[in-house]
Amino acid sequence: MGKWLMLILWPSFIVVCIAEGVFFTLIDPQELYLLGEPIHWSATAVYSVGFFLFWAVAAASSAFTCFLQRTAGDVNRQS
Amino acid sequence: MRAPERIAELAPASDEIETSLYEVRKKIYARAVSGLFARWRIALVIITQLVFYCSPWLIWNDRQAVLFDLVSRKFFIFGLVFWPQDFIFLTALLIISAYSLFLFTTVAGRLWCGYACPQTVYTEMFMWIERKIEGDRLQRMRLDQSSFGARKFGLKALKHGIWIAVALWTGFTFVGYFTPIKTLAASFSPWVLGPWETFWIFFYGFATYGNAGWMREQVCKYMCPYARFQSVMFDPDTLVITYDAKRGDPRGARGRKADPKSVGLGDCVDCNICVQVCPTGIDIRNGLQYECIGCAACIDGCDQVMDKMGYARGLIRYSTENAVKGKYPDQEISKHVVRPRVLIYTGLLVLVIMAFIGGLMLRSPLKVDVIRDRGALVRDAAGGQIENVYRLQFINTDEHAHRYELSVSGLPGLELVVKQPLEIPPATTQMVPVALHIDPTGLASGSHPIVFHIQEVDRPGVRADEKSRFFVR
Repeated sequence: MGKWLMLILWPSFIVVCIAEGVFFTLIDPQELYLLGEPIHWSATAVYSVGFFLFWAVAAASSAFTCFLQRTAGDVNRQS
Repeated sequence: MRAPERIAELAPASDEIETSLYEVRKKIYARAVSGLFARWRIALVIITQLVFYCSPWLIWNDRQAVLFDLVSRKFFIFGLVFWPQDFIFLTALLIISAYSLFLFTTVAGRLWCGYACPQTVYTEMFMWIERKIEGDRLQRMRLDQSSFGARKFGLKALKHGIWIAVALWTGFTFVGYFTPIKTLAASFSPWVLGPWETFWIFFYGFATYGNAGWMREQVCKYMCPYARFQSVMFDPDTLVITYDAKRGDPRGARGRKADPKSVGLGDCVDCNICVQVCPTGIDIRNGLQYECIGCAACIDGCDQVMDKMGYARGLIRYSTENAVKGKYPDQEISKHVVRPRVLIYTGLLVLVIMAFIGGLMLRSPLKVDVIRDRGALVRDAAGGQIENVYRLQFINTDEHAHRYELSVSGLPGLELVVKQPLEIPPATTQMVPVALHIDPTGLASGSHPIVFHIQEVDRPGVRADEKSRFFVR
């Protein structure tokens, strides 16, 4: 379990650091809209929430990759 | 579902790979070591951490010298201010870092890992604290094996207490790069620390404590991508930490006075010091391994043993694959540093650095954007004139206030309606509404191209020209 968490959370963390940097350099958090309304949160809050959203997305992708990596033998084996 | 037999036969292969990649970790009790390379590492720990912990406290132009101000979207680095528009410089900086890493690696292996990587630096600091409290290798092993009592509890509590304190201070410093650190420090008493600042201090602190206290070599072995692709940058002339098997083998214990040759042994006394001092727990005598972070602790350890035995130093040393194979003697290693790969990395690095510095020096301290008022294209003004309205977005990237003169060309008789000169405060973006008036008599209806000219009053070299359009009914 620890191994899977590391494989999923760590690479996504590295990708998130890059994504966060690029995204928020190009886009001002004050110009974002949430469900049609301008976001009223503090800049720090937007950056932080953005960070975890990106992380969740990247982690989902990593998790999916891990899931698909299971071999036919793994899938067929009786658990 | 019952697995077909053939698949069941094939399946275990992947399991074997997995168990060998992620074996159950044996705790490594690295033995303390002293010597030339240990002193280099300590020096680099001190230098890098002085820079890290002190930089946010420095003052420049009455502001924090190094501040990545995310709220106002400006990065301050001493005399330089970076805006989101300067994104290209961040990219260039990343390319410079990457090529420096490639270059260092090609010349001398994992210098970064062994001496400057935060993982190494913090692990070194945390291990130093651990040694001061729990003692060296054997004492620590005995302590961990002993039953839980008051002494063990006291030592462990003290160690983790100091680790957590260092980690939290590190987290605080980290957040201090993004939020003015003096404001941050003042918000502890009384406690008015913002929720996100609190969160990030603990997050970074926890990562430091976990990585340097618990994870240690596992970060390098299982998490670091650089360790996995390092071999791409290695060639047979790269300096790596090498055990001289020709000189050392066959290994074996012997008396201090015994002549190794007469007892049929090499210079390696098989004392295992090189293994005990290794922070990743490998045996360098098995050859170059991806786990080796190039810290040279084994060189220091082995040299001490060689001194005690009265043998020449360097049974384990920095050498190259070709030198060890006997293609050239160790003294000629420096002659093989200049080679195509090194020249290409150096050339690219110099090019990017020059472009970076050139770009910085040519960066205009004034940026202007002209936005036409979208409300009305043309309006009537007093005296039969017509009016177009614009908003000029001024960005003064300089750290001083500046005054600007505005003029316009493209249509003879255009009058600017704005109070001149315009003053823009230091490092500020400001919107300035500007109206243009003209007598429309004889002018063709439709849009006419015009150009706004912005000239700084005090420095003739600082100017900007921005195109726009003027509409006539």
